[in-house]
Amino acid sequence: MTYFYDGTKESFLTAFVLSYGDEDARLASSPTQLTLGQQSVFVRTDLKQAEKAEKRFLSFDPDSINELGLLLRSGEHARDMIALRYFRYLCKQKRPVGRNFAEPCVVEAAECIRRITTELHRMKGFIRFMECESGALYAPFAPDNDISDLLAPHFRARLPEFPFLIHDVPRKKATVYDGINTFTAPLERAGIVLSADETGWQSLWKRYYKSVNIPSRERLKQMRGYMPVRYWKYLPEKFTPL
Amino acid sequence: MISEEKLKILTESAKYDVSCSSSGGKRKNTGGIGNSLAPGCCHSFTQDGRCVSLLKILLGNDCIYRCKYCPNRADTDAPRAEATPEEICELVIDFYKRNYIEGLFLSSAILKSPNYTMERLLATVKMLRKNYRFNGYIHLKGIPYADEGLAREAALYADRMSYNIELPSEKSLKLLAPQKSKESVLVPITQLTREKLIFKEEKRRGFFLPAGQTTQMIIGASPETDGQIVRLAQSLYRKTGLKRVYYSSYVPVVHDSLLPDISTPAIREHRLYQADWLMRFYGFSAEEIAPEGENLPLDFDPKCAWALRNMHLFPVEINRAPLEVLLRVPGIGGRSAYKITEARRYSTLSFEHLAKMRVVLKRARHFITCNGKYFGASERMIGGLLAAGEQNLQAKQLSLFDDNTAFSALTGEL
Repeated sequence: MTYFYDGTKESFLTAFVLSYGDEDARLASSPTQLTLGQQSVFVRTDLKQAEKAEKRFLSFDPDSINELGLLLRSGEHARDMIALRYFRYLCKQKRPVGRNFAEPCVVEAAECIRRITTELHRMKGFIRFMECESGALYAPFAPDNDISDLLAPHFRARLPEFPFLIHDVPRKKATVYDGINTFTAPLERAGIVLSADETGWQSLWKRYYKSVNIPSRERLKQMRGYMPVRYWKYLPEKFTPL
Repeated sequence: MISEEKLKILTESAKYDVSCSSSGGKRKNTGGIGNSLAPGCCHSFTQDGRCVSLLKILLGNDCIYRCKYCPNRADTDAPRAEATPEEICELVIDFYKRNYIEGLFLSSAILKSPNYTMERLLATVKMLRKNYRFNGYIHLKGIPYADEGLAREAALYADRMSYNIELPSEKSLKLLAPQKSKESVLVPITQLTREKLIFKEEKRRGFFLPAGQTTQMIIGASPETDGQIVRLAQSLYRKTGLKRVYYSSYVPVVHDSLLPDISTPAIREHRLYQADWLMRFYGFSAEEIAPEGENLPLDFDPKCAWALRNMHLFPVEINRAPLEVLLRVPGIGGRSAYKITEARRYSTLSFEHLAKMRVVLKRARHFITCNGKYFGASERMIGGLLAAGEQNLQAKQLSLFDDNTAFSALTGEL
């Protein structure tokens, strides 16, 4: 049986409880091809059941719900099954298993979480703000995982005097800091009027990027390893080289 | 806004400075702009594979010194420029708020006199902290022979300071940088270390070099061996409490009869950094890493080399070996050692377990047993296998069309 759920934590927990006895259960939160003869259900979130399950998980491992929150942010198709296998194992063991790296489902989950936290750290560096006419900052980006709201506290602590908008373009959502509050909202397209100096600073940055390179020591493979090409689209020094 | 031309000159003069790390800062945002991210943060990577974390720039490049290896020395006709403190501050703030950089790495050629230069650097950093209320990371280059009072004051505003020891021995320094001396670098380093201790002891308010000090030296411009270099680095770590020693393989940018005309291979720099990591994080001493008169082997990394010299200590049993022994197994680093020590509390680990945990076994398998079983090669073969595994570092596909190699590709002659 395939259990479709909506990708939220509560919905996952409901689906988890529903599918518990089912050995061949598949969880899915994105469109999935069904095979012949396979049955499917759409899970309706049951908040009470979710809360009960959450409490139970917390009693096994206080970290588990945080881990679930991260796993569900993953952009990988396999994330639902990774989370399902990990939490089933946790239920079986009834104690923290997060560091039992001899168990394949734990390694799987740990690596999935690591890919998310790694991207989160990378994006603290690779976000590029543009200054709008009003003085607010706008940064479009396309992360692999759904992390835009996790980035906000970092920039809020760093730039408290600048309202900013971090736009996850492919997911069509944005995290906004208006100078007082942070919130996340759906956003398809942003109409942005750049400030007069913006292009000037961007070309200074491109000039800097080009000048600080030592051409006689070219190591392109290393550069691409640290800064994967899929991120270049929103880096001014990369999408329009000087 | 600073002109593009000036930015280009001042950046190109600064680019051979190696350090670009932004870790270890402690500043929080107390109004104004910026804070420190303790683990550091890379914002971009240039085509030479180095990270761009800080805005690395010289205040001015019109130097009065004549260090033989330096492109900014007094007797070359390089284009000269000098930036005002305002220009630098503006640049930092506008780059920082667009998230291009993590902070500033400010250095300078010796303009007019050491004291004048240090005063200008100090004025810039002070302006950035006070007038522009900048709390981001600042790495300031110390100027040898400048007043100690100036260095002390600068330490209150910068997160990290560095005096470059430039070359790995006093003799080479005298030959290639005649106007600098060992004392001109080591005295301020020890002075600042001492004052940081006093600052902490008296629990004064504010910061005094929260990210400590670093230094840098050029490798391959002078005849010192790697053995001497790692010993020097070790004594710097132990005696002066430096956070990092940076190594920079020599690139000939200026020609001089006292300097080699070829670049030092990047692999030598890489091996030195590996040795440096072994000393700082793996509990190795310089004496274990390389004999004094020898270079590090290029065929395999220094930990492999050490293990091959000490085969009587291996193989170690993965299920029982303490952490510090695991860390000495070639191919096992901090992360793998952590996974092993955690996982073995749940069950006895087999070779398959290690593979599933993504512990890299290419080198490690020759030096470990898993639950009593050994999966490596016989002892005589290990050295050859390890060297063969790393050879692709230097291997290069010959091209029929590249001028230099076409001939040898066609004829087979090297």
